[in-house]
Order: sequence, then C-alpha cells, then structure tokens
Amino acid sequence: MARLGMVIDLKRCIGCNACTLACKQENGTPEGIHYARVVTQEAGVYPRTKRTFLPVLCNHCADAPCAEACPTGATYIRPDGIVMVDHKKCIGCRACNVACPYMNRHFIERGLLKHGYSSDGISPFEALKFADFDEGTNIKCTLCAHRVDEGLEPACVVTCPTDARVFGDWEEENGKLQRLVKERKAWTLLPEYGTKPSVQYLDE
Amino acid sequence: MTTRELLIAPHRFAFGYHRQTFWNWLIGTAFFLGGVGGGLFLVSLLTGHVAGMLAGVLIVVVGKNSAHLAFLGRPERFLRAAARPDRSWIARGIWATGVFAVTGFLSVLLRAHSPLLQLPEWAANLNYALAAASALFIACYDGFLMRSSAGVAFWRTLLLPLLLFMYAALGGITLSLTIRELQGEAPPEILPALEHGLLVANFFLLGIYLLRMNRSLPAARATLRQWLNGRYARFFFGLVVLVGLLATLLLSLLHGRVQTSWLVLLIAACELAGDFSMMMLLLKSGLFAPQAAPAYSRGTAG
Repeated sequence: MARLGMVIDLKRCIGCNACTLACKQENGTPEGIHYARVVTQEAGVYPRTKRTFLPVLCNHCADAPCAEACPTGATYIRPDGIVMVDHKKCIGCRACNVACPYMNRHFIERGLLKHGYSSDGISPFEALKFADFDEGTNIKCTLCAHRVDEGLEPACVVTCPTDARVFGDWEEENGKLQRLVKERKAWTLLPEYGTKPSVQYLDE
Repeated sequence: MTTRELLIAPHRFAFGYHRQTFWNWLIGTAFFLGGVGGGLFLVSLLTGHVAGMLAGVLIVVVGKNSAHLAFLGRPERFLRAAARPDRSWIARGIWATGVFAVTGFLSVLLRAHSPLLQLPEWAANLNYALAAASALFIACYDGFLMRSSAGVAFWRTLLLPLLLFMYAALGGITLSLTIRELQGEAPPEILPALEHGLLVANFFLLGIYLLRMNRSLPAARATLRQWLNGRYARFFFGLVVLVGLLATLLLSLLHGRVQTSWLVLLIAACELAGDFSMMMLLLKSGLFAPQAAPAYSRGTAG
C-alpha cells in the first residue's frame, strides 16, 4: 500500500506563488478557486518584523474528515492515499467544506463555469478544463492524480524554482520523504485536529 | 488579545481565522425548522393534540426539506445522500425524515380517528413509536451533524446536540401552547410549567456550553470572544439571552396572571426569535483555525 504525500521545506520557499499558478494552469480551476496557495504572514513589530510564507494544498489526510463527512461517498480515498471527489456523486451539501479544518475544499457556485478570467466569456483553454467540473458540486486538489498515474510529479512540485516541495511515498522504507523527516524536525498543520496529513513541513 | 484584535483573514491567501461561510441561512432555517417541527410533533403526540401534530409534520416535511433542497448545489441528486447511514449524519437525517413523513401523517390520521385509516392497536402503537423516535431524531441530529464537522472547533462538543434538543423541546412546547390558544383550547397544566423549566434549563445549559468552549481549541475560544464582546455580542445578549430566554420567561410568567391571546403570540415570537438567532449565531460565528508554522502560531492568532 502506498501513501503519496509531500514534504515542503519552508527554508527554501520564497513565496513566489509559482506553485499557485502552475496548479491553476494544470487544473484550470474556475475563478477564485486555488487548490494550491501560499499563505503570507507578517509577524512582529517594526523594526523587528518577519514575513513568512506557508504553501498550502490539500493534506490528503489518512483520516480525512471530508471523506468521513460525505453522505454520498463522492469523496473517497484512493489506494495510494490521494483523496478524490467524484463530482457525479456530489450533491453540493458542503458537509466536506465545514469538515476540512484546512479549508481546502472548494464549492463551484452556480454560474461560475459560465465565465472565465477574461471579460469575453470563457477561453478555449477554460472550455477544455471546465469540462472536468460540475456546477453545484465540490472540487479539491487531486495531487495531480492524472499526472501521478502517468509516473509524473504534481505540477506544483515540478514548477517550484527552489525545490521546496518533495513528492513521494510515505510508505517507502527510507524513501526521500522518510529521510527528510528523520534528518530534520517535521511538523504538520493543525495536528490537534487528528487528521494525519500526508503533507508535512520543515522549517529548521 | 482582545476580540477587537482578532485576526480575521480577508481571503484565503492571508493568515488568520477564516469565517465559516459554507453553511448559510438556508441551512440555519432547515435546522431551526427541524428542531421546532420535531419538538412540536413530539409534544403534541404526547398530549394528544392533533392540530399540533399536523403542524409539526408540515413544518418538517415542507419547511425543513424545502430549505435543504434550496441549499443543495445539486438538489436533483438529493436521494444519493441516503447512501451511507452507517457513517454520515446527513444520511441518517434523510432516513429519519422519510420515516417521519410517513409515520407522522399516519399518526395524525390515527389520532384524528379518520375513517381513511383503520389499523389494529399494535400496528397503531408501532406507528406512534416510529413517529416519536424519528421526530426525536430530527429534533437533535443536526447537533450531531454539526458536532461531527471537524473544521469548526466551536461545534465540537457533545453539549451541542443536547443544547439544540433542549431548544427544540422549548420551541415545540411554545408552538403547541400558541396553537391551542388560537384554537381556544386550554393546554394541559404541565406544558406552561415545562416551558418555564426549559427556559431556565436552557439559560444554564447555554452558560455551561460557553464555559466548555472557553477550555476548547483556540478557534473555539476566538468564536466565544466574538459572542461575548465582539462582532456578535449584540445578537447574543440582545436576541438569544434577553429576547429568547429572559423576556420569554417573564412574559410566560405574566401569562399566568393575564390571560390574553396577544401575550401568547408575543411569547411565541420572542422564543422563536431567540431560537432562530441562536442557530444562526452558531453557524455564522464559526471560525476555521489559522494555519501556521508552530513557531509563528503562538501569540499571533490564539
């Protein structure tokens, strides 16, 4: 059994949002929906201030509360650990939205697929990509499952200019994820929610 | 940190608490109507009040279900939500509503001694039991559903289903008294006394809930601060506590001395306004916790 996931090194992240854009281009998500984003935080008081960047995406939790909350089984976990949504089964109840503590579920409002980013309706690119979505349903990061199935890495990983993102299998003995976590202290987001995320972070 | 300094993120790229905006007033209305309708049916069934039973069934079957369907992104697929009653509270709620729609209407016909329906006594009793059980479930399952929604820390306590059930019972009794007043029918003596008791009990239970939240996760404490001295304090103290509990209690005590229909209607309006405000506050004030590295999360958002 595999459990695909990611380690993100915050020491390397420069907050360029290349991952955000690569994800948008790869998945063609509708306006205002970003599977990958970089949360920016400013802390401290002048002159001792610090700006930090936290790239976030679906954590593909082992104990995914979104999958647990879904009444139809539209949200499911693949054998390789990727949490997916079958939009044909989704009824748009948004139980998954309130279940995910990381706010990584996205609801496609009615009418959202009728216009793109330009003012002239939807572009040919958007028309192609929007065919994968369904209004009134939920979508989420798929860890680029369509790429992973072809042996490629997710778009955010291959695009990162500083190699801050490392993609791999948590179950692989002494694999690159396990090695990184052993070498440096890793942590997950909101561990108190008990979701067992497959995305871990390094900042030391 | 005071409530006014609470860091609410303006968008998903910013650090801070995020407001719960996914479940809106339609879900709030559906939960409210489910509580009140289920409570009214139960009270009416136990006190043999046919008009109250019918009103309870209509509130749930027409009111609650319409609000749910209006909320769904794909309402035409709603039956799919019944697929996993072993895991999902929404699925359990759909099954309970289906059972209630059938057994509730049959109960109304049986209690009204309608010639349309003749059943042996054991079958009638079985139907009453199923109707009562499903009404009870409808009156409190939304609390379990909210409690199981892991993202919003303010809902993550077993006190929530209890609180919502107590409000459902209170709303049911208040509506039952109101319908009887409009019919010119004297209520059983126990109902006004129960109403007073529930108003006092809800006041204390609400206090215990807030104390519990004060010892919960940071996001729950942040919501609590909004209730007590922040964005929602006016609604909480004004509508939920003052109008919904204290004014309702005072007016219902006054009703023991002054018997007028308008007073009963005023009591019902106050109680239902408090009940609905409470549900909307629970939904709108929910917060998602900030996401940050452990080193930065301390002291900046908690």
